Amino acid sequence: MKAQYDYTIEPEVIENSPTLAQINDVIAAPMEAPPTKGWKIALAISSTMLLIGAISLGFSFYYGTGLWGNNQPVGWAFPIVNFVFWVGIGHAGTLISAILFLFRQKWRTGIARFAEAMTIFAVMTAGIFPLIHTGRPWLAGYLFPLPNQHGLWVNFTSPLLWDVFAVSTYFTVSLVFWYVGLIPDFAMLRDRTKEKVKKFFYSLLSLGWRHSNRHWNHYEMLYLVLAGFATPLVLSVHTIVSFDFAVSILPGWHTTIFPPYFVAGAVFSGFAMVQNVLIILRKIFKMEHIITIDTLEKMNKVLLATGMMVGYAYGMEFFIAWYSGNPLESFVFVNRAFGNYAWAYWIMVTCNVVIPQLFWIRKLRRNLVVMFIVGVFVNVGMWFERFVITVTSLSRDFLPSSWDYYKPTLTDFGILIGSFGLFFTLVILFIKFAPVVSISEVKGVLKSSQPHHH
Amino acid sequence: MSLETFWKSPTDLKFPLLSKEAKEKEFIDGVTDDFNPNELKGLSRRKFLALTAATLAVSTVACTDYHDKGEIIPYNKKPENVIPGIANYYASTCTGCSNHCGILIKTREGRPIKIDGNPDDPITKGKICAIGQASILNLYDPERYRKPRKRNGTNFSDIKWQEAFNELLSKVKLANNTGSEIAIITPKIESPSQKRLFELFLQKYPTTKIYSYDTMTDYPRRRASELCFLTPEPPVADISKAKVIVALESNFLGNEGNFVKNIAQFTENRNIDNPENFNRLYAIEGIMTITGANADIRIPLNPTKLLDLVLSLISDLLNVKQIANGTVYEKVKNYNLEKFAKENNLETKQLKYLLRDLVENYGKAVVIAGDKMPVDLHIAVNILNDLIGARQENNESILIHDFETLLTPLSTLNDFEELIQKVKSGKISVLINFDTNPAFDLSSMEFESLMRKIPFTATMTDSETETALASNLIFPINHNFESWGDYKVSNNTYTTQQPVIEPLYGTYQKEDILLGILNEKLDKNSYHKFVKETWSTQIFPQSNSGVNFNEFWTSVLHDGVYQLPSSKTSFPKINYDAINSITQQSKSGYTLTLKNSYNTANGKYQNNGWLLELPHPISKITWDNYAVVSERTAHKLGLESNKMIQIKANGKLMEIPIFILPGTVDDHFSIEIGFGRRAAGTIGKEVGFDAFPITTLKQMFEGYLMNLEVIPLPNKEYKLATTVEHHSLNDNFTKDLAKKRHIIQDGILADFIAGKEIVEHTHDAKSIVPEIEYNGVKWAMVIDMNKCVGCNACVVACNVENNIPIIGKDQVQRGREMQWIRIDTYYTGNQDNPEVANQPMLCQHCDHAPCENVCPVVATTHSPDGLNQMVYNRCVGTRYCSNNCPYKVRRFNFYDYRDQFANHYQKADSLALMMNPEVTVRSRGVMEKCTFCIQRISEAKASAIAEGRQVRGTDVKTACQEACPASAIKFGSSNEPDSELYYWRNHKLGYHVLEELNVKPNVTYIARLRNKVETKI
Amino acid sequence: MEIDNKNLYGVGALFTSPDKVSEAAAKIAEQGYQNWDVHSSYPIHGMPKKMKLKWSPLGYVALILGLSGTSFGLFLTYWTMSVDYPMIIGGKPSFSLPAFIPVLFELTVLLAAVGTALTMLFILFKFPNNRHPLHDTDYMREISVDKSGILIEANDKKFNYDEVHTLLTSLGADKILDIHLDPSEVNYTPKILEPKFLIFIIIVAFLTSFLGYFVNNKLLFMPPFDFMVDQHRNDVQSRSKFFADGFGMRQPVEGTVARGQKYYPFSGKPELAEANLINPLLTTEEVLALGKKKYNTFCSPCHDYHGTGNSRLNGQFPNPPSLHSEKVRNWKDGHIYHIIVEGQNIMPSYASQLTEKERWAVILYIRALQRSLNAKEEDLK
Repeated sequence: MKAQYDYTIEPEVIENSPTLAQINDVIAAPMEAPPTKGWKIALAISSTMLLIGAISLGFSFYYGTGLWGNNQPVGWAFPIVNFVFWVGIGHAGTLISAILFLFRQKWRTGIARFAEAMTIFAVMTAGIFPLIHTGRPWLAGYLFPLPNQHGLWVNFTSPLLWDVFAVSTYFTVSLVFWYVGLIPDFAMLRDRTKEKVKKFFYSLLSLGWRHSNRHWNHYEMLYLVLAGFATPLVLSVHTIVSFDFAVSILPGWHTTIFPPYFVAGAVFSGFAMVQNVLIILRKIFKMEHIITIDTLEKMNKVLLATGMMVGYAYGMEFFIAWYSGNPLESFVFVNRAFGNYAWAYWIMVTCNVVIPQLFWIRKLRRNLVVMFIVGVFVNVGMWFERFVITVTSLSRDFLPSSWDYYKPTLTDFGILIGSFGLFFTLVILFIKFAPVVSISEVKGVLKSSQPHHH
Repeated sequence: MSLETFWKSPTDLKFPLLSKEAKEKEFIDGVTDDFNPNELKGLSRRKFLALTAATLAVSTVACTDYHDKGEIIPYNKKPENVIPGIANYYASTCTGCSNHCGILIKTREGRPIKIDGNPDDPITKGKICAIGQASILNLYDPERYRKPRKRNGTNFSDIKWQEAFNELLSKVKLANNTGSEIAIITPKIESPSQKRLFELFLQKYPTTKIYSYDTMTDYPRRRASELCFLTPEPPVADISKAKVIVALESNFLGNEGNFVKNIAQFTENRNIDNPENFNRLYAIEGIMTITGANADIRIPLNPTKLLDLVLSLISDLLNVKQIANGTVYEKVKNYNLEKFAKENNLETKQLKYLLRDLVENYGKAVVIAGDKMPVDLHIAVNILNDLIGARQENNESILIHDFETLLTPLSTLNDFEELIQKVKSGKISVLINFDTNPAFDLSSMEFESLMRKIPFTATMTDSETETALASNLIFPINHNFESWGDYKVSNNTYTTQQPVIEPLYGTYQKEDILLGILNEKLDKNSYHKFVKETWSTQIFPQSNSGVNFNEFWTSVLHDGVYQLPSSKTSFPKINYDAINSITQQSKSGYTLTLKNSYNTANGKYQNNGWLLELPHPISKITWDNYAVVSERTAHKLGLESNKMIQIKANGKLMEIPIFILPGTVDDHFSIEIGFGRRAAGTIGKEVGFDAFPITTLKQMFEGYLMNLEVIPLPNKEYKLATTVEHHSLNDNFTKDLAKKRHIIQDGILADFIAGKEIVEHTHDAKSIVPEIEYNGVKWAMVIDMNKCVGCNACVVACNVENNIPIIGKDQVQRGREMQWIRIDTYYTGNQDNPEVANQPMLCQHCDHAPCENVCPVVATTHSPDGLNQMVYNRCVGTRYCSNNCPYKVRRFNFYDYRDQFANHYQKADSLALMMNPEVTVRSRGVMEKCTFCIQRISEAKASAIAEGRQVRGTDVKTACQEACPASAIKFGSSNEPDSELYYWRNHKLGYHVLEELNVKPNVTYIARLRNKVETKI
Repeated sequence: MEIDNKNLYGVGALFTSPDKVSEAAAKIAEQGYQNWDVHSSYPIHGMPKKMKLKWSPLGYVALILGLSGTSFGLFLTYWTMSVDYPMIIGGKPSFSLPAFIPVLFELTVLLAAVGTALTMLFILFKFPNNRHPLHDTDYMREISVDKSGILIEANDKKFNYDEVHTLLTSLGADKILDIHLDPSEVNYTPKILEPKFLIFIIIVAFLTSFLGYFVNNKLLFMPPFDFMVDQHRNDVQSRSKFFADGFGMRQPVEGTVARGQKYYPFSGKPELAEANLINPLLTTEEVLALGKKKYNTFCSPCHDYHGTGNSRLNGQFPNPPSLHSEKVRNWKDGHIYHIIVEGQNIMPSYASQLTEKERWAVILYIRALQRSLNAKEEDLK
């Protein structure tokens, strides 16, 4: 027990050193064992949520955005809030797999693959919203840089267009990154499985990988290159998303602090989400020794740090609002804290700034139950952060005559639920049909696996 | 895996050995050099894809059936003066109310599409109100009656015209022969031809009796006029001659009398280039009205106190001016302002100023009492007006007896009481409603139940009314724009009415039917001939013009208005004894006034969606009426806005939601009549709450000022749909923001004359990028807030011009109103007596338009002539532009409102005829906004090109500008230094809203000056 | 053994300890073998050095792709915004670089990252390749689990079956396996037009064409799709669903007078018109030109280009009398004007075709025609 808390020695990445074969078995187990009851229930729930979302979306598509609560001043509400929220979730993955890779953080190996997967799914979920939130979704093609029948192009000065580029790039690159990592594992599964169908698909996916070291030579270089590009990319994505707000002239949106503030927030919520799902995962699939408590603790530290950054940003916004001496600015922020949306604001502050402070205490930081609950709160808080930024600023802007209060409708909630449904459905399917931990990487970091240099 | 099904590359297929080799030496570079797909025979994947693509292309191109077939349907006999694509204008008369303003109807290919004032009309000078503008919607109302309908039992069935006519004819004849009465209920009769028609009718059917009434009219004033001037037609004020105007609970700028004329005359003397001539408006009223909002000095006072005030004014006046007038003095000697002020805790000073203004401006001041105020008040006011010289026997007189337009007197209280008796005793066997709706607006006498007692009742109406549903026979009649007619609008002025389209549903006009009864033969053109006859026999002889009648008639129709050369204006002496008829009745407890509705002409236009959706000029509430009440009173009753109360007046009950309005006096309620129609088509049915039933017939003639009991119903909520958030002026967080943010800039007239700076500018706003050069015209607008009274005429004009849909109450509640131009009304100061500022807000067409930068698909950009353009077809509806618009003037089609509202009401084929063919009909998911009437601009450009010259700023008039009765809106090119617009755009009182954003708007607002009293006395 | 040798692909050795493999790899590299490889289910540190492998070129590939991404982005933004379709957007110059930087950056990353990965997989590795002899061999299976192995291919110049065997054993391989090519693969000759494949193509072709048709002509015109093609309004010369006769353009009501509409006082009274109307125009070049144009358009079909009345419609339509008759020549202009306005006998009114000015111009042109046929003395002068 005591030893666990000793930070002077770097703990083993993989506990009670298993053999290579064991690792194969453990990681391949979920894919080979018949679906468990728990898994089925989970899938049932998530797909129901997905269905609710699909129906709400169907109606919105047919009847129009009028089904939502949006109104004249509040042109953006739930869909954009969800978009920013999910893009944020999508940040943890690449951050873990790319930045931590560059920093040679070995502890990432246990969680990297899964985090990346979550990135992909989160970005997929996020990607839906920019399309469906438009009034005429069937014309979303206009958003891509192609000339229309009159030779008219897109407007490269619009932040929304930057979004299109940022999100699609981020998605593609993450996908490639993730898939390249999966190839050797698929090869392993291919050679392992007996079933014809599975073998067919695994061969298809593994592209005929054969563990050749001549390939590994290029492979590692590629991994380095990808990591190198993914790092600035992950930082850029939420920066650009924040431009949607920062570049506009609306008080409460037009703020230079947004880029760092948004990135910090993204990492914050992303880590919370990853941590939440991992806790469940390691329990169900008995991977406690691969996804170790130390790994989770490290994540909690990151949570604490980013939480503080977000808190700082909240404070700084108020300071600048006052310091700028711009009455419109100060009005907006006073209105946030004490105006018609105060309730949302205080939920946000409590969840994002107050509750994570628990992680100062080592005991709590290493307590699964506590960290899980905190993680949930953080996600709620971060969703409300986006809500506060988007809706409160819009609902009371320049001319008092155009003010109006925004009330979400059932459809809004339906779509929100649906987004979670989509995300979790994908996650659940993923853990069933692909290795949630990178086998080759884990093998690579085992003490026994590498030659002893002398 | 089996190889048949699975091959990885064409190489594998064709040259297995090569590919085997390739596999083996896969580390040698350039092994793929010998791989060239084009050399392959058989089917490669590329060719497969090509094939699929080809089939796709072929199939889609070959089988395309494109929807728009480009079908062209020309005239097969082209009328002489219709050129397809070019609008024609017809002069006619608006019959929306009894003002009968001259109108100019714009038609395209023989279809009316827009209404404007007739510039030749000497009274309204080319302006009309919102109702007149919107009345075109009623012409194309898809729910108009198409065929006569006959009652059998409880339900109706269509019958043939001839059948219906014969039945009416026989009934009339029968009644006439049996000597029982034929009652005809008509509106005011101000048409020479109608008058003649009824005279002939009476001759032929002597048992006929005409009952004419008008809920909009000023019965009490007429009564007072009878007592004071011995003529039922009261004198009418020419406000342009007045320097001081005192409105006593009178909304002469809003909805009383000919308010269009009043607005024009009032704003004539609100020209800031002539500050000395500024008039001063005192408004003394119980609730905020348009008049109060535009007043320089507004004194909140319970209407029941007005009589005392006037009497006190008179008595002080007599003292100050040493006028010896026994009768009057006797009556008023116990009154004086000091006492009055103390009793009603007003500032004595204020009233002294008022008195001084009246004294100092002898002959240049006028007092106007409200249409629905008691007779006594009007008597007192008449006397006061004579004492201050408002009415003199010369051309300078403000009050002139020049509007004796009534040709047959309105029915009196007795007439109606007799009517009730006759019905009860079965003396009336036939009742004809001549396009009136007594079952609704005479519910004070339970007219509907009376009708059911009459054996045969026929109603002439163009669409569903309570009266129609209560009668045995319904005659669908022509809309105004399908009818002939003529009207007397002043002693010597007549307007003519001509149809601009054949009756859409083959209906007859109501006069045709009566003529039919007269000639015992129904004929579509009979009234046309009849009107011509009237003119050739009555008016033409007086005209003593050289031309023959046909030419005369043609020119009259062409102008739409005719003025007789000679005009005799009588000047009756005032009868001071009338003051003795004043009986002092003191009212205590809660008081209630009923007012004319602003937007529905007391229910007549309840089925007009545009008007119902028009935000109330003061409260910005749509689709409802409500009881206005002060904040203090509401809290005393434990209520907030949107809570219901139960009212008990004249022993009758009604329930209605309350609305807290700043500037309302305590313990006072006010309700607008004309809402709550029980039958008015899908649009108007049960909108708002009907206040007629709680009135008595007597009150219609003697004024709607009454006591009431109030039972609060705090648990009953009724959501009123308002287009703005309402904040109490006691809430310091939101208080006066409009002024703090320099959205509204105004000042005191005296300061301006003294040369003080009125407006604040942000001078240090600079742009980091070079400015775009605009050569040639650059469109811009100036709105003079000294003139804008907030009458909403521009809003409706814009609706009609730009095909703006009706969206319905629920959508307005959601905050999705679609009007392109809105009138922002800001309350500042204290809750009891706030200052009100109106500000028409529309797209500012900023040079640095923030909306343009953020649109990802360049759906909104700038035109070379400085317009901020909206490209509907390109818009995908991200709503980002609207978010980034500081003025929030962009409007988004959250639904296809034409389809979504009142299940496809606006998709009706008839409404397609009304749409302006030059303006796109927007679908759902598209952003839209004010275009500065770009269709008119391009029209002007086209004609400029045709004339081979450059287009000039003065060539274009926007719809709102054309409609504005106060001419507060100026439009033109800011690149023409000699133009009027240029002058105003650079006026020292001009400012832009939110200048500090440096978005460089092209709409300039002229700061409003308030003609406050100098503090010294 | 011997029989298979012609199908021998290579000899593989399996190792358990990572140290042994790396030493072995080093040895084999020294021996100068070319076509050989080390296999392990995870990268073994330092292996490339031991195998004497070249430094991977992917870094440079990434650099080049990245730069081309940037320049492409720069070109795209500049060309579209300032050259191909420049517009005034928010009063800003059409080329505003700061606003384009996000796009440039994203394009750089996109091209570099994706491009490099694809280069590796499809150019360097020549993937996908599932028919490599190593697949489905025990050798590969073992490697996948926990062994690492060395394989020397049979087509290596130095390859000698027995030498290789001894060498590998000497290097301490746990197990040595011969790997053979699958004879069915080697002798496989594919049928080019497999019926299955053809049917597949045909089905796809039908599906695509059906879908193409349905989407382009049906689906896109159903709700909610709305491209504002069918406007709910009546354009000029369009059909109206409302009126039974289908005419969107209506006739003005009988007896109404539009603004600018003139009163014609002489209807039915040609003599009055003749008496009172005087031609306001003077005979000038352009008036005659106008008259000629209008005459040829509207009058000549019956009256013929020279007013003889012997016209193109000859036969199909009763000939009008000549305009050169004594009668017509003696008519005052007003009379002709009246006929143009009101028509006469079977000649209909031309009021709606000719404006007032045009009517007078036509009259002057007719006069000119008359003059041309019976010129007088003074015309010669």
